[in-house]
Amino acid sequence: MNAADLPREVTSLPPLSGDALLAAVRAVAQGPLQQQVEAIDRQGHYPAAVLRQLAALGAMSAHLDAPAGPGSYALAIQAMAEVSRVCGATGFMMWCQAVCGLYLQQSGNPALMGEVLADHAGGVGLGGTALSNPMKSYAQIESLLLKATPVAGGYLVNGTLPWVSNLGPDHYFGAIAAVVEGDAPAGKEVMFLLRCDAPGVELRECPSFSAMEGTGTYAVRVKDLFIGADEIMADPAKPTIARIRAAFVMLQCGMAVGITQGAIDSMWAVEPQLGHVNQFLEDRPATLQAELDALTARVMKMAETPFDPSTEFFIDVLDARAHGAELCLRAAQSALMHQGARGYLMSSEVQRRVRESHFVAIVTPAIKHLRKEMARLSTEELPA
Amino acid sequence: MNTPTPIAEAIQKLSAARPPEGAKAPSGGSAAHAVASVGATLAPWQQYICHACGYIYDEADGDPDSGLAPGTRFADIPDDWACPLCGVTKADFAPYTPPDLTALQAQAACTPLVAARQTPGVVIVGAGRAGWQLAETLRALDAELPITLVTACAGDVYDKPLLSVAVARQLATQKLVRETGAAAAQRLNVRLLAHTHAIRICADTQQLRTTRGTLRYDRLVLAHGAQPALPPSLPAALCWRVNHLGAYLQLRTALGDTPKDVLIVGAGLVGSELANDLALGGHRITLLDVQTEPLARWTAEQAGAQVLQAWQDLPVRFVGGVAVASVEKLQGRYRVTTECGQRFAADQVIAATGLQTPSRLAQGAGLAWQNGIAVAPDTLRTSDPHIHALGDCITINGQASRYIEPIARQARTIAADICGCAPVPYENKPALVRVKTTSLPLTLH
Repeated sequence: MNAADLPREVTSLPPLSGDALLAAVRAVAQGPLQQQVEAIDRQGHYPAAVLRQLAALGAMSAHLDAPAGPGSYALAIQAMAEVSRVCGATGFMMWCQAVCGLYLQQSGNPALMGEVLADHAGGVGLGGTALSNPMKSYAQIESLLLKATPVAGGYLVNGTLPWVSNLGPDHYFGAIAAVVEGDAPAGKEVMFLLRCDAPGVELRECPSFSAMEGTGTYAVRVKDLFIGADEIMADPAKPTIARIRAAFVMLQCGMAVGITQGAIDSMWAVEPQLGHVNQFLEDRPATLQAELDALTARVMKMAETPFDPSTEFFIDVLDARAHGAELCLRAAQSALMHQGARGYLMSSEVQRRVRESHFVAIVTPAIKHLRKEMARLSTEELPA
Repeated sequence: MNTPTPIAEAIQKLSAARPPEGAKAPSGGSAAHAVASVGATLAPWQQYICHACGYIYDEADGDPDSGLAPGTRFADIPDDWACPLCGVTKADFAPYTPPDLTALQAQAACTPLVAARQTPGVVIVGAGRAGWQLAETLRALDAELPITLVTACAGDVYDKPLLSVAVARQLATQKLVRETGAAAAQRLNVRLLAHTHAIRICADTQQLRTTRGTLRYDRLVLAHGAQPALPPSLPAALCWRVNHLGAYLQLRTALGDTPKDVLIVGAGLVGSELANDLALGGHRITLLDVQTEPLARWTAEQAGAQVLQAWQDLPVRFVGGVAVASVEKLQGRYRVTTECGQRFAADQVIAATGLQTPSRLAQGAGLAWQNGIAVAPDTLRTSDPHIHALGDCITINGQASRYIEPIARQARTIAADICGCAPVPYENKPALVRVKTTSLPLTLH
């Protein structure tokens, strides 16, 4: 049977004013997306039409402030969860699109906040984020891969990013480069919109991915790319990163919540036939559902204050994200145990979800990065 | 709404072709075969499950890969048809009804949960005096009880009061560690998670989330102490705080072997003791306080007058009635400016401006909070029956009592409760304070 046939009670995300949006997102997820999910996973099909359809519904811009009213991070996360419940890869691309919109809106740059942002929110433009490397750089895990040399009217950017997702020939993404004067670091970074069709930008195919083959992920090689005032998102970048880091991480919780819910759905799906043996397993669906509900409630609470600047709040967000990844791993693994051989078929959503859960655990910030960052932020600061 | 994709349209057409839910099925397979074209529009589609692999044959969908068009009744499937997933034959299929989730959940709730891989036992957060004291007391009562100790530091065992007299007693800094954390853990058969930060308590699942993974617990004991309360005018990067051995050792290294100018903000117990001890070590001390005399809490006992008298021959300058406005670092030295405009230069600045209990762990778990973790006066239980707390992090009736003496008694109370021994009710009584100003030790009430 199809997990999508299970009744709504399986999820327990609290009702919000965006019920109509969520219903529409669910219809797309369980309709057209469900039909393509195997092609996305196995053949690397990039579901552009579904993404545009979801964007047009407002699913990837629910968190952005609009003339109609302030954005709702809770709604954006719930929408991402509905999609991730069916297809983790598409849920991830929703996150890419959502944070790219966040960068555009937070840039304060009129050249990026008008038509560019409107097109992006509506799905006319699609884009991603290359902040994995900068986020690890700020957490003192690795150094910046792009370098920007000041020139008249802007910067010349050089370097190679190993993989950036939700890309295509006419897509774009938010990126950060270390500013250099000659060979020496200038002690600051610049954040900008990098258009894939700009001169000096080359997309290169990546090796095959375990569960993210359909996510439009490319290596991006940048040679003497000129970045002018119209592309600048933040200069210097650090204050903007500090402001949006909690929102950036928090939005990812939608992937974990959705994939976990999908795994729980798969456990109930085999309960009539296999319940008599599955009762001997750890991590039964009701137990996982209770843990997921508690985590979801925690995330919904955080979503009320996505821009709380305190360190304590950020640690809380990092831990919720880590909890999501850990729960996702356990649920996907347990769903495979529950389904047994049928879940081990390559055509089974259950084994696909195991691979998706691995992605949630390793994508930046990975569980290990989250823990290291929480430890760093928890350590008492003393005079040098 | 957007225009549906071609696939969505196809599905909608297919769904529209289905008969309404609840339509009566024809009786008898062969009859249905005979009137297939009529029956297909009248009878609801049935589903059949493969006993071998769980594949579900839906009459509405058919099995196009095997030549069965959508709408092919199960009865009409040739006998040589094989399950597309596992290859067994039609005879191994049985009618299938999608499950009723509510019934499943109710049924599953009646089956017992599987055993945990191991008994989680007691988890203690904090390896200061309170944490280790509790581990010792528990171990004395129960040789088998699993005990895990989580600490942000190395977990080394030391006597914190010695940090106030180490210079005067000429204790080498390496002698301050009485026993390494690893050695104490081995001696007590305790699992020590050193350099590990407790991040969150999930009270409903009895789990402690840490930066090195998640621990389950039967009983959790919070012994993480308090942390220095720094006013905004005293930035953490510019001021030392002496609340644990690690910071103290770094301060001693920064002071080095030659006399230095040291400015201490706060002339309470810790500030006065440090001023006394570092002055005896030859450092030139400036001691500031908003009150007009040191140890102002014990003014009725004239404590301040007595220590000032005792410090007459020491390089201690007390400046009372001043509040710090700012601290700046200038060319490797510090400049401290008071709100009344006085300026002081110093090689190092120490803040001794009081303590506060960190709230994230307790409040994240929804524990009752009253200036600290509120515990029951007799049992030292928090508002969660599985969680106790002791030491500097607790308050009883809103009052903290951050001294050494009560800790051993608190540990006995909690250990007896956890081990199911006869209750040892805690007696909350005023602490007797010994001021370790070695030039003039005082005993205060």
